[in-house]
Amino acid sequence: MNLLQYLTDPANWPGDGRILDLLAEHLGYTAAAVLIAALIAVPIGVLIGHTGRGSFVVIGSSNAARAIPTLGLLVLVVVLLGTGTEKIVPVLALLALPAILTATAAGIGGADRDAVHAARAIGMTESQIVFRVEWPLALPLVISGLRSATLQVVATATVAAFAAGGGLGQLLISGQRNNDYPQMFAGAVLIAGLAIVLDVLLGAVGWLTGRTTRARRAADQAVRDKEAASQRSEALT
Amino acid sequence: MKIKKLTVTIAALALALAGCAGNDDPLGNQSAAPPTQADQEAIVVGSANFTESQVLGELYAQALQAKGLNVSTKPNIGSREVYLKALQEGTVSIVPEYTGNLLLNYDKDATAKTAEEVETALPEALPSGLQILKPSPAADQDVYVVTKQFADQNGVASLADLKKVSADSILGGPSELASRAYGPEGLEKIYGAKFKEFKPYDSPAVKSRDLNDGKIQVATFFTTESAIIDNGYVQLADPEAMILPQNVVPLVTDAVAGNADAKAAIEAVQAALTTEDLTALNKRVDSDHDDPGQVAGDWLKEKGLA
Repeated sequence: MNLLQYLTDPANWPGDGRILDLLAEHLGYTAAAVLIAALIAVPIGVLIGHTGRGSFVVIGSSNAARAIPTLGLLVLVVVLLGTGTEKIVPVLALLALPAILTATAAGIGGADRDAVHAARAIGMTESQIVFRVEWPLALPLVISGLRSATLQVVATATVAAFAAGGGLGQLLISGQRNNDYPQMFAGAVLIAGLAIVLDVLLGAVGWLTGRTTRARRAADQAVRDKEAASQRSEALT
Repeated sequence: MKIKKLTVTIAALALALAGCAGNDDPLGNQSAAPPTQADQEAIVVGSANFTESQVLGELYAQALQAKGLNVSTKPNIGSREVYLKALQEGTVSIVPEYTGNLLLNYDKDATAKTAEEVETALPEALPSGLQILKPSPAADQDVYVVTKQFADQNGVASLADLKKVSADSILGGPSELASRAYGPEGLEKIYGAKFKEFKPYDSPAVKSRDLNDGKIQVATFFTTESAIIDNGYVQLADPEAMILPQNVVPLVTDAVAGNADAKAAIEAVQAALTTEDLTALNKRVDSDHDDPGQVAGDWLKEKGLA
C-alpha cells in the first residue's frame, strides 16, 4: 500500500471537504481560538504580574484547565447546544488560555525589578511602567506562551471533526471509517506538518523580539562599561 | 540511584513496547480463539464485535438451550473475516448475519436488490459447508430519515420525494456514506435528488442534534438505532430498492442445518423478532448497560420461547 497516494493525488486538494478546504478550516479554528484566548489571558496576566496579586488564581485555574478533556467537553457542548464554529472555538480557546496566562504573568512579574524601580523613581505612572518597561521585557516570554498555546490548539483542533466541524481531523475519521489508510496518513502528516510550521514561525517571531531586548541590553551594558571606564580614568587623574 | 531509576524506566518502556508488538493487527481486531477439542455435539454460537450481534447470539444460544441442546457461546469474535473463517474451520457453528452484506461478501457483483432476490441468491453464493436459515423480518440497514416537521411541511415520505427539496438541503451521514453506492451518488442517479452538500458525521448524537436544529435536513441512520424512535423521525420509503436489505439471518454449518430441533428453535426466534424488538434490545444493552444474556433471556420469556 502506498501511504502517500492520497497526499500526492492532486484531485484531493481543491474542493469542498478536500485538503485545502479542511486546512483552511483547521487554521481558522486555531487562529480564532488562540486570538480569543490571548484577548482574555494577556490582560489578566498583565494585571496579575504587575500587582503580584492573585497568582494563586493563575496556578489553580491553569492546572484545572489543563485537566479538562477537550474532546469530551466539545461533544458535550455540541450535543447540548448544537454544532457550529461558535461552539468549537471557545472550547479550543479554553485549552489555549493557561499557557498564555501563566507565561504573561510570569513575564510581567519577572521583569527586571531595577528597571521597574528606576521607572517609578523618574516619575512614570503605573500604566507607563506596564507598557513601556514591563511589557517590552515580558514580550519574548508572552510570545513563547502563545507559541505553546498554538501548538496545543493546532494539534487538538483535530477533534472539531467529531463535532461535524471539519478541519484536518476529518481525514483521520473518514480514512478510518473507509479503511482508507493513505487518507488517514495524509491527515496525520498534514496536522504534524502544520504544527511544526507554526511552531517554527512563532519561534522566529520570538527570536526577533528577543533580539531587540538583547540588543538593548548589550547597548546598556556598553554605556555602563564606558561610564565605569571614564570614572576610573577620572579617579586616576 | 540514577542508574537504578533509569533501568526501571527502560524496563517499563520495554514492557510497554512488548505489549504493543503482541498485537499484529493495528486496529486491534481480536483473533479467533484456536480450535479446541470441545464436545463434538455442542453447538457453538458465535457473534461479531458489536452489541447487536451479541444480543442475537444470546437469543440463538438461549433458544437452543431451552430445547435441551448442548450449547456453548463464543461472543465478540471480531469482524466478519474473522468469524467467517472460524465458521468454515468448524470452531463456531452458528453466527448472526445480515442478508445483503453477507451476499456482497461472497459475491461482489451480485445484482439482487429486493429482500426476496437477496434471499434467493444467498444460498448459491455461500461456500460449501455453510447454509442460511430463514431470514427474519427484523433488519438493520441504512435508512434515510427526516424530522416529522420537515416531512409534513414538504410532503416528503419517500426517497422519490427528495428531488423536490434536495437543491436547498444538506444531507448528513457517516463519512463512509459518501463512497457508498446508496449514498449521495445513488440518490442522484436513481432518485434524481442532488443535495447542496454532504456533511460527514462521526457521532450519531451530533448528527441527531443537527437534524433537530435544522442544520441538516436529511440524514441516514440504522433502522435499529433508538434515535429514530426517540426523536420521532420519519423513515423514507425506498421504492426503487436502492438500499440493499439487511435482514437478520443465521449463518450455520451443515451440521446445525441438519439438526431439526436446532433449526426449529432458531427459526422460531427469527420469525418472532422484529426491527422494533431489536432496537429495544440494543438500547437496553447500550444505554442501560444490561447484560446481553439477561436482555435476550427476558425477550425469549416474553415471547414464550424459553
